[in-house]
Amino acid sequence: MKFNTASKIERPIRLCQSTRQFAYDSLMHVYGLDTAKTESVLMDDIVGFEQMSDLEKYDAIIRKIAQTAPIRICDGEMISGAATLGMAIYHKVPAVYKGNCIFESVSHLTVDFETVLRRGINGIRDDVYKSLSRHSETRKVEFLHSCLATIDSFSLWHKRYILSLEKDSKYEKNLQNLLQVPFSPARNFYEAVQSIWFTFAFLRLCGNWPGIGRIDWLLGDYLKKDLADKTLTLDKAREILAHFFIKGCEWIKGGNYESGDAQHYQNIVLSGTDQSGNDITNEVTYLVLDIIEELGISDFPTTIRLSKNTPEKLLRRASEVLRFGGGILAFYNEDLILKSLTEYGYPPQDVWKFANDGCWEVQIPGKTFFRYIPFDCLQILQQKTLDNYSGTAHFENFEELYNKFSQDLTEKVINIYHNISNELFFTDDSKAILQHKPMTPCTAVSIFEEGCIEKGVSYLEGGPVYNIISPHIGGLPDTVNSLYAIKKFVFNEKKQTLSEFLKMLKNNWDGYEIYRRYILNNYSYYGNDNDECDNIAVRILADFAKACRLLDGRCDYAFPAGVSTFGRQLEWMPSRLASAHGHKKGEILAPNYSPTPGSDCNGATAIIRSYCKGDLSKMVTGAALDVKLLLSSVEGDDGLNAIMGLLRGFVALGVYFIQPDIQDKEILKEAQLHPENYQTLSVRVSGWNARFVTLCKEWQDMIINENK
Amino acid sequence: MKTNDKNIMITDIQRFCMHDGPGIRTTVFFKGCPLNCAWCHNPETKNPNAEIMFLAGKCISCGACVSVCPVGAQSLLPNRVFDRKTCIGCGKCVSCCFTGALTISGKNVSAENIIASVKKDLEFYGEEGGLTVSGGEPTFQKEGLLYLLDAAKSENISTCIETCGAFPADLAEKLVNNVDYFLFDIKDTNKQRLKQYTGAALQDILLNLFNIDSMNGKIILRCIIIPNINMNQEHINNLLNIFSKLNNAEYIELLPYHPYGNSKSEQLGRKDTTVFQRPTENEILEFAKALQKSGCIVKCHGSIIK
Ligand code: SF4
Ligand code: SF4
Ligand code: SF4
Repeated sequence: MKFNTASKIERPIRLCQSTRQFAYDSLMHVYGLDTAKTESVLMDDIVGFEQMSDLEKYDAIIRKIAQTAPIRICDGEMISGAATLGMAIYHKVPAVYKGNCIFESVSHLTVDFETVLRRGINGIRDDVYKSLSRHSETRKVEFLHSCLATIDSFSLWHKRYILSLEKDSKYEKNLQNLLQVPFSPARNFYEAVQSIWFTFAFLRLCGNWPGIGRIDWLLGDYLKKDLADKTLTLDKAREILAHFFIKGCEWIKGGNYESGDAQHYQNIVLSGTDQSGNDITNEVTYLVLDIIEELGISDFPTTIRLSKNTPEKLLRRASEVLRFGGGILAFYNEDLILKSLTEYGYPPQDVWKFANDGCWEVQIPGKTFFRYIPFDCLQILQQKTLDNYSGTAHFENFEELYNKFSQDLTEKVINIYHNISNELFFTDDSKAILQHKPMTPCTAVSIFEEGCIEKGVSYLEGGPVYNIISPHIGGLPDTVNSLYAIKKFVFNEKKQTLSEFLKMLKNNWDGYEIYRRYILNNYSYYGNDNDECDNIAVRILADFAKACRLLDGRCDYAFPAGVSTFGRQLEWMPSRLASAHGHKKGEILAPNYSPTPGSDCNGATAIIRSYCKGDLSKMVTGAALDVKLLLSSVEGDDGLNAIMGLLRGFVALGVYFIQPDIQDKEILKEAQLHPENYQTLSVRVSGWNARFVTLCKEWQDMIINENK
Repeated sequence: MKTNDKNIMITDIQRFCMHDGPGIRTTVFFKGCPLNCAWCHNPETKNPNAEIMFLAGKCISCGACVSVCPVGAQSLLPNRVFDRKTCIGCGKCVSCCFTGALTISGKNVSAENIIASVKKDLEFYGEEGGLTVSGGEPTFQKEGLLYLLDAAKSENISTCIETCGAFPADLAEKLVNNVDYFLFDIKDTNKQRLKQYTGAALQDILLNLFNIDSMNGKIILRCIIIPNINMNQEHINNLLNIFSKLNNAEYIELLPYHPYGNSKSEQLGRKDTTVFQRPTENEILEFAKALQKSGCIVKCHGSIIK
């Protein structure tokens, strides 16, 4: 039984044998594959289903799911509840009528687990009754009744687990806990973990993906009290929490698939401050890190809120865990994000609560509707500004070119805004917004989002306190580099006229290999800390933020900017043309706000500095940077100190969000085949660092073998 | 540039170095070295002057360099040849080589500009990190070095020097004032062998080492280990002898030999490279343990051996 790591250091062992076995089985697909057997529930036998309203259908579906979804109790599990319907992985409510799926489900939100813990589902039910007494509008009353129906269904499912657990005395503790939670408030750490898990599992069962949020904030006080009362030990608490992580690690098909095969895959947030600015790091924070370190489970990618005041101990622990590779840990710069959210207008009583939507986009958990709309600005440059390289584009100088691009970018943002307005709202002839269009029912998540019950409005129809639609700019680094290459090659060095240059691009560089190499090798692109190039990025970010801001405030939805690709560089690849910075059509370009692969030659600190030059605080929902480090370069205590230094610098310089990845052998092999994509990769060469691609073949082979 | 600023001939400024002294460091590689180690890992830094490097693998035989070379040192036919003997080092071919096959190793950079580059990573240095001067042998450009160290210190930047120890005795005192850590190479402790493989005189190097120690310069000994050359008991005994006599040496860091320099030697057109045997992981650990057991504090693979 071995939990893999690319690192030479052995993973520590703190958990007991049975918990480790449970984790191992989970990682080896023992659980989860069963979901393929029951993809969904069938609604065909429900009398009059077709005649029902959408909301009635939804309620019937949730009831049927609660009544009939298979119950799964894993051998020896310390917490119970499981999402067992396979269709949930496809972003759908897992129910079928006459062969067709009926409703889409909801993702990119983190629900209000705090209320679940402190007041229980019963508390939420009370709120629904209170709200019912205040509302008389039919649609609202119907929605609130749907809330009650969903809670009843939840209760049905809950009872089925209780009945199953009663059958085996081995699960006595699970049973006791479930008799209390999640319907009543959690009284101790164990109950609290079970409460969150059971609620999470129910939402997953119904097809939704709720993020977890600040788990140490949610659980810290419970653990503190139990430890003080001596009703729980730290070791026992670690076992309980480990079961939470293990239960979250589940495969659906058991193979390798495009974007992975994980059933749950939701972000967790650690550390950060409370409303008075005090650091909330507690024992739970460290337990989570222990578990990730020992088991390497990556299904709850974990993001740590760092600030100038982050305790040294946490920085060290995080760095230690980071070194095992796998890219499980990522980091927010809390100082910058608090400033960003405050300036955007979030009130002080909510700002400090920020977590994410289950992915890394920042939001206030349990209060936020969130949706992001990605677009590719490289295609705007290539297809719009430069008119598909048709030869019609003409610019006297770089400023003219840039201004046209900026105008095209602004138009795109306006377009996004109008499209989304049309999708969500009825408008009058003058395009003024009248009212929300009815959306897909989503009661299960609505009952866990503050605002919905009070207003009598669902999550998708404007119920939550904050409603965010965020355009996300993609392809930014490649756009910056393209513009920079044109600036240098055409306008500064005047090596060719713009129309000659566009001809080369139109030809996909065929016949112009020398120029292509020149452009690739002779300019210092985004990620090398070159102000001249980075300033283009600064300008685009500012113009993009401004375009969004101008549209903001016209309706109940906020329209803040963000930067991401989330792997869309793959999806966009076929629609992109040859790029001005020397890449042919079909090459996979930069992820997120990270440098174009192979263009960064000055190491991680230069990348971070390039990235920080723009006003990232205006990217209110986030801007992600991926930084790759090589395992061998961070070996030993020296390597550990270096990682800590990197993290400190990242806060000092004002990074928004960073995903450091420690590389392994496979990456090295890739680097050997395509050295042009791994310029910055540094390797530890017995006592100092050398750049991997500068090593000869045999040497590379040796290092690859050392990274087994 | 200030009137009294100094130019330094360097090959590279490398940021985010994690193993060139404490913390995150920016390492500046000086050109020029008084020694001639057979196992040199940075052969492009030996020569004090700029040199043309040719990486045949990157050449696409476009011919641009051929037509621009004033002395006919570049030719395409019948084979792509770069004739170093004819080359006068004018650099014209380099500026017209678009593929990066021809490059110049060595550029004159002012100390001020070096400091500006070093300051770019201030936020990452924390309390420990900073500037490391390496090479080559940094003391080979004595004046530039002292000026640079002084400039770094006046900016409150931590300084390390990586030195082979072969420098004029009177330099030690000047260095101690502005160097936080001496990463001091002891390549071998056998007089004859050291002479044979590097050209160095052991007694001069040790004199400098103890001189620095007596002035309370902080020292990290860096020892390359090569099977069948110095991985033996005699070397361990000698190292212990040296280490135990030093008051300010924190530990001995082992640098297992690797043939990294060879591909660069090829690009420089040098044909005299010797390949030594690489120590296996086991041999390294065994040696490290033996040295540690003898009574030294030993660092290997980034950690102090416990
Ligand atoms: S200019 Fe460069 S690529 Fe062209 S032949 Fe000369 S070395 Fe080769
Ligand atoms: S450096 Fe000058 S002389 Fe030497 S090969 Fe190049 S062009 Fe010819
Ligand atoms: S002292 Fe260093 S740079 Fe000089 S020859 Fe020896 S290994 Fe090379």
